[in-house]
Amino acid sequence: MGSRYLIRKVVGACLTIFMIVILNFVLFRMMPGSPDRILLRNPNVTADAMAAARIRWGLDKPLIPDQLVDYLESTASGDLGFSFKFHGEPVTDVLAGRIWPTVILFGLGEVLAIIFGLALGAYSGWRRGGPIDYIGNGVSLILYSMPYFVIGILILGVFAIGLHWFPTSGMLTVGGSGDDSFPSQLLDFLGHLALPVTTVAIGLIGQYSILMRSSVIETLGEDYITTARGKGLTSGRILRSHALPNALLPAVTLIAINLGYVIGGAITVEVVFNWPGLGTLTVTALEARDYPVLQGIFLLLSISVVVANLIADLIYGRLDPRVRS
Amino acid sequence: MRSPLCDRFARTLAAFGLALAALLPAAAVQAKDILTLRVGTVESLDSLNPFETALNVGYEVFTLNYDLLVNFGPNNDPVPGFADSWTQSADQLSWTFHIRDGMKWSDGQPATSADVVYTYNLELNGTKNGGVVGLGYLDPYLKDSFVTGVTAPDPSHVVITTSRPTTKLTHSYIPIVPQHIWKNVTPANVANFANNVPVVGTGPYQAVESTSQYVRLVRNPYYWGKQGAEDEIVIQYYPSAPDTMVAAFKNSELDYIHSPSAESFNQLKTAKNTVALASEGNGFTQLNYNTYTKGGGASTTALQDPAFRKALGYAIDKPTLIQKVLLGYASPGTTQVPPWETNWHVEPNDVRQFNIDTANSMLDAAGYPRGPNGTRIDRQGKPINLRLYAPNTDPSYAKDAQFIQGWFGQVGIKVSAQVLDEGTLVTDEALDTTKPAKGQLNYDMVIWGWVGDPDPNALLQILLTSSIGSTSDSQWSDPQYDQLYVQQNEAANDADRKMYITQMQQIFYDQAPYDILYYDNNLDTYHTDKFAGWQNQPVQGGAPFFQDGSINYTLLTDATKATPAPSASVNAEPTAAGSGGVAASVAPAPAPVPTDTGSSGSALPLIVGVIAIAALLVVFIMMTRRRRAAAAEDDE
Repeated sequence: MGSRYLIRKVVGACLTIFMIVILNFVLFRMMPGSPDRILLRNPNVTADAMAAARIRWGLDKPLIPDQLVDYLESTASGDLGFSFKFHGEPVTDVLAGRIWPTVILFGLGEVLAIIFGLALGAYSGWRRGGPIDYIGNGVSLILYSMPYFVIGILILGVFAIGLHWFPTSGMLTVGGSGDDSFPSQLLDFLGHLALPVTTVAIGLIGQYSILMRSSVIETLGEDYITTARGKGLTSGRILRSHALPNALLPAVTLIAINLGYVIGGAITVEVVFNWPGLGTLTVTALEARDYPVLQGIFLLLSISVVVANLIADLIYGRLDPRVRS
Repeated sequence: MRSPLCDRFARTLAAFGLALAALLPAAAVQAKDILTLRVGTVESLDSLNPFETALNVGYEVFTLNYDLLVNFGPNNDPVPGFADSWTQSADQLSWTFHIRDGMKWSDGQPATSADVVYTYNLELNGTKNGGVVGLGYLDPYLKDSFVTGVTAPDPSHVVITTSRPTTKLTHSYIPIVPQHIWKNVTPANVANFANNVPVVGTGPYQAVESTSQYVRLVRNPYYWGKQGAEDEIVIQYYPSAPDTMVAAFKNSELDYIHSPSAESFNQLKTAKNTVALASEGNGFTQLNYNTYTKGGGASTTALQDPAFRKALGYAIDKPTLIQKVLLGYASPGTTQVPPWETNWHVEPNDVRQFNIDTANSMLDAAGYPRGPNGTRIDRQGKPINLRLYAPNTDPSYAKDAQFIQGWFGQVGIKVSAQVLDEGTLVTDEALDTTKPAKGQLNYDMVIWGWVGDPDPNALLQILLTSSIGSTSDSQWSDPQYDQLYVQQNEAANDADRKMYITQMQQIFYDQAPYDILYYDNNLDTYHTDKFAGWQNQPVQGGAPFFQDGSINYTLLTDATKATPAPSASVNAEPTAAGSGGVAASVAPAPAPVPTDTGSSGSALPLIVGVIAIAALLVVFIMMTRRRRAAAAEDDE
């Protein structure tokens, strides 16, 4: 039973990824504008240069089947091609350099948002109608509705430009007279990380808190809570051992889905803080019609979402046996 | 009592902490007290290979890495580069360049005439039979100089023969690359040569680290000339984030920024220790008309009529555009050769001044009467409704479009303005010559800009008939203009050349395939408390960086150490590298720095993946355990 559930889910995920690979190819070629034409904004470009670029990038071949077949073959073998914009660099290298800044930024932001969001939500729900609930719920709603870049610009204005506490942008101070020892590098990195990670966390706290609050309130009304009270358990114990585990179920789904987007990140946060992640890469690649890089990013993004959903399904199946049947 | 939630989060946090620690790039090997010049730009470097870069920042980096055969001087005049002197033969058909004695590449290898022969042959062989070297942007410099051969009679001399007398060889943008590094690079594979760090060149600073965010260059220990006070130069990229760049500048994280918005620039003007410099740029913003005549093309034939286009020129109030849109940072435009190219720009006769009445009467006279609802009608009896497009790359274009819409409305031309994605627009504007013209070139007017070279050829040639299908965005064709282009290119001396170029500018202005709206200023700002010795290029009216060549990088001095001389000469030159106190202490250091980015870059995703999976496993196990424990508790 258990293994059949697992196989079904994994096969489903693989099929989804295959569909995405195909869609990926079609989608970017439906965009108006062609990469070889973007070369043209240099007055020295000649018709010969354009023709040479088309041949080099394989754009002279028909879209279907030649370009599609080439694409499927190389994707299957893990070769995502070469970037148009970053001349001569393999897409896998371009992506590899950009993944970890995004993963750290959004991974850490998520963790912080989960801790504070769930804690705030659980407390608000438990002490419903209290001052924390009023303030917490109000603040959560405001944060939930605020786009990342607004939060980012506010934070940037206050803590970097106003107070000079943190650097404005980038991930590390490059070169210079800085101490090159590991602790000082770490401090430098954390200093650069502080503002963007706060922005991500603040942007996410709202949704976790709101979800957790309503979930806790709902759970607290269940019969088994009354039973637990009847057994004479303390209210703290009831919350921890009985209400929270069940209230966490919807949060697990949300966390898993959000983790899928960790790779994609929030483009606007990265752009505001000039964070060298996949978000800024997406913007650059879009501007240059860098098909191979765009395909790589979207492939990575969609695979991570599919995998995160698969994990959510599996965890859910584990937590709630009804799902498996 | 156990607190599962706290436990779990603690573990996840710990996992992330570990990840952070593991993922930090290996500490770079750097000497302390290094004076770093930090420069910000809104572009991001596309390639370290000079033949593969399409961007301003790419030219900036390769002219720091490499010498041109003859460099660009303070006023873009020829100054010693790879060659320290040159002569032209009596018959004007050959040039002899003397290569500096004892010059070395940054890796210590001798730099000789063989390197020049290698580089120029790469270009010459590559461009034979219509071929292209890399992106092809550097090809015209030799092609337009009629070079027939390059030889090296001895290690310190290069002889270049040409089929016609030319002066263009001393204005060539082709960097001399080291043969011993590039030996396997041919015209066929130059596009795939990444030219990875550490770059080996003869220029003053060499790229030793290049990432998606910045490129870092350090002193070339073997540089033949004077170097600046800065021990290293970091050029940081802010693509799509000019405001972040300005914030970093305000926060003193950057010493120099190129191209902030006009609004930010105005704010920075009053900042402490800051020079905000609006300098004349070698480029323009134009309103180009679609004049295509051979099927497809614009929505009305009126655009093919020079009289119609000229009349519209009287309905554009350029001073207002400059004031309202660019806050004054531009000058009114006339010809396709910007005044920046002082030797070549000539103001045309009969410059059009804004006057709605003149525009109206000229349109009446040209045979475009107003229809019943006031909209003018073309010769086919169709109301003239023009589409005006602008790319999304610069918000000022859309503002220009709004004004033009208003003014053209006053002369009875209805305009619908639309901002389009750059990629879409550039595709719309270029004729695909492999397909029938019908249905192509579906636009009427576009607001966009061009940036030129020190040599006027670049901006003259986009209007040639032969550029239709590549760079032409007006699809304009004029045999006399084409003929003059050939003549100016073949002119034996600058005086003759200027005569032809003057005629080309007048024809262009009278025919008005473009209306040059304005010559944009370059906006640059820099701090004066860290570095002194800032010099502009051109000296009068230019800017320190992002011009032509790297000369101004070599003139900077340390503002904190320099005792300001009473004359406070801005041109004060630093002591030669190695002889000054500052330079001496660090000069031995710049041996190629290990480039850790590549290796750590490829291992990192793997580490992240492993840690993420480990973290997930921990969460999973904790949850399972907690469920069992809770079940057990309930059973109690």
